[in-house]
Amino acid sequence: MGKIRRLVLDVLKPHQPTIIEWAKQLSDLEGVDAVNLNVYEIDQKVENVKVTIQGKDISYEKIVELIQENGGSLHSVDEVVGGALIIEESITLQDYRRPGD
Amino acid sequence: MSPLKRWLQQLREYEDIAEVGGIARRYLAMNAFDGVLTIIGVLVGNYAAGVQSARVVIFTGLATSMAMGVSGFWGAYFTESAERKRDLDDLESYTLTDLEDTKIGRASRTAAIVVSLVDGFAPFLAALVALLPFFLTPLWGNIYRSYYLSLSMALGVLFALGAFLGAISRENIALTGVKMIGAGLLSMVLGYLLKLFGG
Repeated sequence: MGKIRRLVLDVLKPHQPTIIEWAKQLSDLEGVDAVNLNVYEIDQKVENVKVTIQGKDISYEKIVELIQENGGSLHSVDEVVGGALIIEESITLQDYRRPGD
Repeated sequence: MSPLKRWLQQLREYEDIAEVGGIARRYLAMNAFDGVLTIIGVLVGNYAAGVQSARVVIFTGLATSMAMGVSGFWGAYFTESAERKRDLDDLESYTLTDLEDTKIGRASRTAAIVVSLVDGFAPFLAALVALLPFFLTPLWGNIYRSYYLSLSMALGVLFALGAFLGAISRENIALTGVKMIGAGLLSMVLGYLLKLFGG
């Protein structure tokens, strides 16, 4: 079965537990090598966080469980990388803009 | 990790989430203060009434301390639970998820219990400390010595509470301790006036 190597998630979470606590818990999961949490929006009670997780064999289900356990909600899965290597998105002609577009 | 260590780590985590520390300190100081002043009232009342039996003072004092403990626990539990439930419901309206069975929900419920225990035990233990000399009355055989020692211990507890608050607010702990003793002395004077006017 294929392995998930990177996940980029959009999460809404309460301020507590903090992203520091989240980072510790996520990086403690089996198969996770590193995490990056980036708060891109904040208001009185909640914050929107871009969660990037990279590892050798990430369990999506365990990540979702941890997010829910900490009171967060998963808004979207924005990027997934799977397989033996981590590859970036391929640039195609459609990604280029003509002058004036 | 041993189960006890895991449990303590979880409590610390809940303390971070629910921010129990400040509230618990407030309840500890406030209710211990109430407990000591109440027991000063009981002691001065017994003294003014001419009670010579250590047994009577102990039973009156213990019954009063236990009632304060029950009142503290019960009142704090329902108040704190209601407030925290309201906060949780409010947060749920933002996250649009059910937080009951999450760390946040559990931290909230644990906080209510911890704060209630502090609210219950603080006045009970503070009053008990002040009553201790009466348990030792057979040693010196003089009820008045027990009264004076008890009242002195009550003032000592008040000083300690004042010093504790002074340490929290980073003020002069001796000064804050003395300020708290003032309340105890006022209670004693007012109680003693009953004896003077009551005959």
